[in-house]
Order: sequence, then structure tokens, then C-alpha cells
Amino acid sequence: MNVKTQIACVWCGLLFVVLLTLGWIVIAGLVPLPSPALGADELAAFYRENTGRIRFGTLIAMFSMSLTIPWIAVIAVQMRRTEGEFPVLTYTQLVAGAVTVAILTVPTLMWTTVAFRPERDPQLILLMSDFSWLMFIMTFPPFFVQLVAIGAAIIGDKATRPVFPRWVGYFNVWVAILFLPGGLVTFFKSGPFAWNGLLAFWMPVTVFFLWYVVMFKALLTAIRQTPRQA
Amino acid sequence: MPQSDTAPFAALSADTSAPPPEPPHAHDIPGEPGVWVFVLGDMMIFGLFFAVFTYYRGLDVELFTTAQATLNQDYGALNTLILLFSSWFVVMGVIDVRERGGRLAPPLFALGFLCGAAFVVVKFFEYREKLQAGIGITTNDFFMYYYIFTGLHLIHVLIGMGVLVVLWHLARAGVGRPQDVRLIESGAIFWHMVDLLWIVLFPLLYLIK
Repeated sequence: MNVKTQIACVWCGLLFVVLLTLGWIVIAGLVPLPSPALGADELAAFYRENTGRIRFGTLIAMFSMSLTIPWIAVIAVQMRRTEGEFPVLTYTQLVAGAVTVAILTVPTLMWTTVAFRPERDPQLILLMSDFSWLMFIMTFPPFFVQLVAIGAAIIGDKATRPVFPRWVGYFNVWVAILFLPGGLVTFFKSGPFAWNGLLAFWMPVTVFFLWYVVMFKALLTAIRQTPRQA
Repeated sequence: MPQSDTAPFAALSADTSAPPPEPPHAHDIPGEPGVWVFVLGDMMIFGLFFAVFTYYRGLDVELFTTAQATLNQDYGALNTLILLFSSWFVVMGVIDVRERGGRLAPPLFALGFLCGAAFVVVKFFEYREKLQAGIGITTNDFFMYYYIFTGLHLIHVLIGMGVLVVLWHLARAGVGRPQDVRLIESGAIFWHMVDLLWIVLFPLLYLIK
């Protein structure tokens, strides 16, 4: 059995978190997010003054995102054990995870596009920036579906020795619900539900990292406990 | 009708605090432990919501009180009663499953579901009244919280109604195994949480002075 390969895939997930933090937060300096209330000139100045950082940081962030591909695959492999002959939830998770990766790379490209030609008209920078942050926060639904699929598979696992502890299933559903306020960012330019607000950004992003830690632990245990045959 | 929220509070504590310990199917906590991860996590988040609300309310008490005065307290109070009744039906159903073989449980869960549906209908009329008066999510900060908090709660009610359908099916199929009892308890715990969240939401949005 390919235990080592599976474990490597799990570590890819953790590496993603580390590189995303490094690229997106530390190097590019995009967190805290530029406020949606900023005017075009102020915003353009923010991107202009950080051109080098954003270019290098987005390059690393871009790379980190593809590391979630093996991570999603190993979740699928272990989820597959919880389902019977027709593993629909596993497939749902796989597709939703892939869509999430694809979506996340686009705003990253937009930040780098802004930094690529910082002398551009500030109005265009404003448009590109709005698009990037709305896309980054408001496109939570595929991730939501991915989490609910994982949760449903775990809770529906009828085996006497389930693949994942059942609380991990409920935890996934909880994280999914936490991402719902992200849908509200289109209404607000300030306050807790704006894209840089406590409830639309800080709360989900914190729980997002927590989700990686919990799943990391749960996956390693599940791989270790896989019955050895075939 | 409006200010009558004290009595429901008393009734609630009888409903949501863990059902009395039963020797026959005794286990440490009702339901499966995992569901408490979800319930406590969810209540933590709503706790955060309420803290944020209270903080911003403190920054502009006048706006919040003026806006609050335009809410229809009758709808809010009616929905409080509806949810308390629903919780009562559900808890009776659970007790029936645990102690009397669960013959009465399916109709009791169905009644709980109907209460949930009634809540949604009342909410529809309440939202319609506000929207027709031109009050939307961006009108001011108070209504932002009003729509978002009640909206997220409404999503919980809808999920809870789905859970009650599952409980109804389980109870109708006949409850033999201890896992089924646990599953029914877990679903009921979720429904009580939905009720409890509203019991906090109602005074916070409609009544607080």
C-alpha cells in the first residue's frame, strides 16, 4: 500500500498553509486587506508602493495553491473508504476542491496584474482590485459544498470502526456554515461584513487555517489505521 | 403580547437544558458527542455576532433604538412562542422514543416541523412588511444586523426542518437500536439550539433598551 505517498499528500496541505501565509501575508503584505472604502488614488498608491513585494508574494501564493491538489486527492481516497459502492460524496468533494483551487488562483493573478503595471489609471486599478477581493471572498460556495460533502460522508459512515472520528464530520459542517457571511461582502464597504471585516474575513480565515490543522491530524490517523490489504 | 418574553424564558430552560437523566438508556450526555462540537461551535459564533452587535450599538445607541422601534414586536413574539412550542413537541417526541417505544414520536416530530414552517411564514410576512416600507439590508447598521442575523437564523431553521424530517422517518421506521435513539437525540439537540439562538436573538434585536 502507498502509505508514504498518501502521507506526502497530507503534508502538501500543511505546506500550502505555510507557503500561502508566507507569500500572501508576509511577503505580499495583502493582509490586512485594503479597505473597500479606499478611493482609487489611495488604493493605487498602496499597490504602487508595494510592487516588488506583491509580485514576489503572489508568485509564492500561486505555487502554494496547487499544493492543495494532492491534499484534496488524499481526502478523497480516505473518504472513499467511508462510502459504499457508489461514492458520490467523494466525487463531489474532489470536483468542489478542484474548483476552489481554480478560483483562488484567479484573484492571485489579478493582484499580480495590478503590480505588473502600477502606473495604470487608478480607476482601472480600483476595478481590478474590487474584482479580485470579491472573487476571493464571495466565491466560498464550492468550498462550502466540499466541506458539507466531507461532513456528510463522515457522519454517514456506518462502520463500527469509522475512518474519521464523527466529531470531525460535525466540525466540517460547522466550518462550512462559518463561511456563509462571505456572501454578504457585496453589500458593504465598511463594518464587520465588509470584505476586510471581522465576520466576513477574519473569522472565516482563522477557521480556514484551523480546518487544515484538524484535517491534517485526522487524515494521518485515518491513513495509519487503513486495513492493510490489496 | 409584546413584552411577554419572561414566561417563555422559564419554559425554555425546561426544554433545552438536557432532558432529565433516564436510567433505561442512560449515557453521559444526550445525543452523540460530535453534535455538541457543532452546537457549541455554532453558539460560539453567534456569541461573537452578539458581541459585535452590542459593540456597534454602543457607538450609536440613538440610531439603533430608533430603528428598533420600527420593528414589529408582535411577529417576533409570535415566532418565539412558535419555536418554544416546537421544542416542546420535539422533546416530547424524544421522551416517547426513549421511554414508550416511540409510537407517538412521528406525529410529535411532524408537529415540530409544522411549527418550523409557521416560523418561516411569519418571517416572510415580517420581511415583506419591512421591504415594502423600503427598509433593506443597507438602510443602516441596525438593519444590516437585523437582516443578517435573522437571515442566518432562518437558514438554521430550514436546516432544522430537514433534520426533523429525518427524525420523523427514523421514528416511523421504528426505533430498535441504541444508535437510532442517539441519532434522534442529536437531531433534537440541533433543533433546541435553533430555538435557543432565537431566544437570544429576539430580545437582542427587538426588545433591548
